[in-house]
Amino acid sequence: MLYYARIETLRTLRNKRYAIFVVVFPVALYLINSGIYGEQTAAGGVRQSVYLMVSMACYGALAAAMMSTALPWAQERASGWSDQLRVTPLPGWAVIAVKAGAALLLVLPALALVFAAAVVVAGVSLPAGQWALLVPALWLGTIPFAALGLAIGSLLPPDAAQPAAVAVMFGLSLAGGLWFPVEIMSGPLRAVAAATPVYRYAELGWSVVAGGGLPAAGLLSVLAWAVALGAAAVQAFRRATVRS
Amino acid sequence: MKAIVFDQAGKRFGDVTAVGGLSFAIEPGSTVALLGRNGAGKSTTIRMLLGLLEPSSGAVYVHGRPPRAAAAAGELGAMLQEGRLIPEPTVRELVALVRGLYPRPLDLDEILALAGLTGLARRRAGTLSGGQAQRVRFALAVAGAPRVLVLDEPTAAMDVESRLRFWDGMRDYAADGRTVLFATHHLEEADEHADRVIVLAGGGLAADGTAARIKAAAGGHVIRFTLGGQPASGLDRLPGVTSAEVAGGTAVLRTDDADATLAALYRRTTLDVRDLELSAAGLEAAFLALTREP
Repeated sequence: MLYYARIETLRTLRNKRYAIFVVVFPVALYLINSGIYGEQTAAGGVRQSVYLMVSMACYGALAAAMMSTALPWAQERASGWSDQLRVTPLPGWAVIAVKAGAALLLVLPALALVFAAAVVVAGVSLPAGQWALLVPALWLGTIPFAALGLAIGSLLPPDAAQPAAVAVMFGLSLAGGLWFPVEIMSGPLRAVAAATPVYRYAELGWSVVAGGGLPAAGLLSVLAWAVALGAAAVQAFRRATVRS
Repeated sequence: MKAIVFDQAGKRFGDVTAVGGLSFAIEPGSTVALLGRNGAGKSTTIRMLLGLLEPSSGAVYVHGRPPRAAAAAGELGAMLQEGRLIPEPTVRELVALVRGLYPRPLDLDEILALAGLTGLARRRAGTLSGGQAQRVRFALAVAGAPRVLVLDEPTAAMDVESRLRFWDGMRDYAADGRTVLFATHHLEEADEHADRVIVLAGGGLAADGTAARIKAAAGGHVIRFTLGGQPASGLDRLPGVTSAEVAGGTAVLRTDDADATLAALYRRTTLDVRDLELSAAGLEAAFLALTREP
């Protein structure tokens, strides 16, 4: 099973789609935006270069969690690879567990690259205590999105899963305030943003870098999303693999 | 204990009966061909055997256990129809992955050699040709050394050379007392490589036995002669004749008693029989007779 997890992880790392969406995109956007606005002050009184670091790290992590799940899993179902594995002794739960685990592992390089760009190029520096909260919060906070990706991959055929995953990912990023801060949104849009799991997730990071620690309400909300989307993913996975 | 048992197993999809109440048992160590036209129910039968489809009625057992339990114990290996590989890993990684899931797998290099993949081990699966990918799928099917190997139209995408190598590999694998069931619509493959042939038609069992017995059961011989312009009436009433056709001045009689038919042809008719040929009906004729749609 460990070997299966290794293959799953290597698979995504060798995939160009992963590299572009997850690695190049967020880092490039961060460098462009922080180059322009970096010195301005963002919501919460922190420098834009710090605020944007959190936004783009969240985007990269979100992309990593969804890109490494939705399409590969939809393709495996359609191509018969998942049937090939079902004939082996590998239990069904192991497939979804390994995929979720591999997705989480693949979030780490996405976070690390944006953080590295922020520190090295934009000169961001945070107290050690903030890093110690920020990294695990933004890492484990992607669990709901890995689950969402798996649910999409279970419900849709590959040619629909790809655009669906990209649309959901961009839609959530936009609505959740990763592209434009929630603070500049109008009232109704702000209410929409607050209802998205992405906003709740990014909020953890913004709060930490503003010196506010981890907000309890935000943590609970992300946890609730993780439970809800996790249950949906398991349900969709069952429907996709058990044929009566 | 039997290696494979189908006990009145049937599968319906909505109103369509894909397989209806199929019963047969297969001894361990035998190589069995599941022969049928497209749509005869071969793939549904195989998917029930592998636990990928639940039967709507009846039951299926692999070494005494339901297929899902047998799969969990590493008893099953399969080459599925139109299964594609995930493209990113190398051939070696894929084989290592699948063999690692079984409790008592074959040695990695042994598998690669058995499937003729030693030279391709470092290639990514996505860069292989159709025939090469098919060989990898064979390697994945045998990697765990399962006691029951199931192959659904295994040679479909193979060229002649790959096909020969494939059957060699399969024979080596089966030689160790393992059970092999393969589906095919190539009659020669069933004739040449199986100890036993199960013929499916319309989702049911049309015939079951050795290739030789099936040929005999379905009308043993074909008599062919030049009739010219002589009247053809009465040929189908000769003893033993199961069908008579006349086309272009040539008569073709199928018979299950060639001696009686020939004796009657010469003694009881006044026909001038020329260029007579007598041949054993091939499996193809048997197959056509058995699976003829009503």
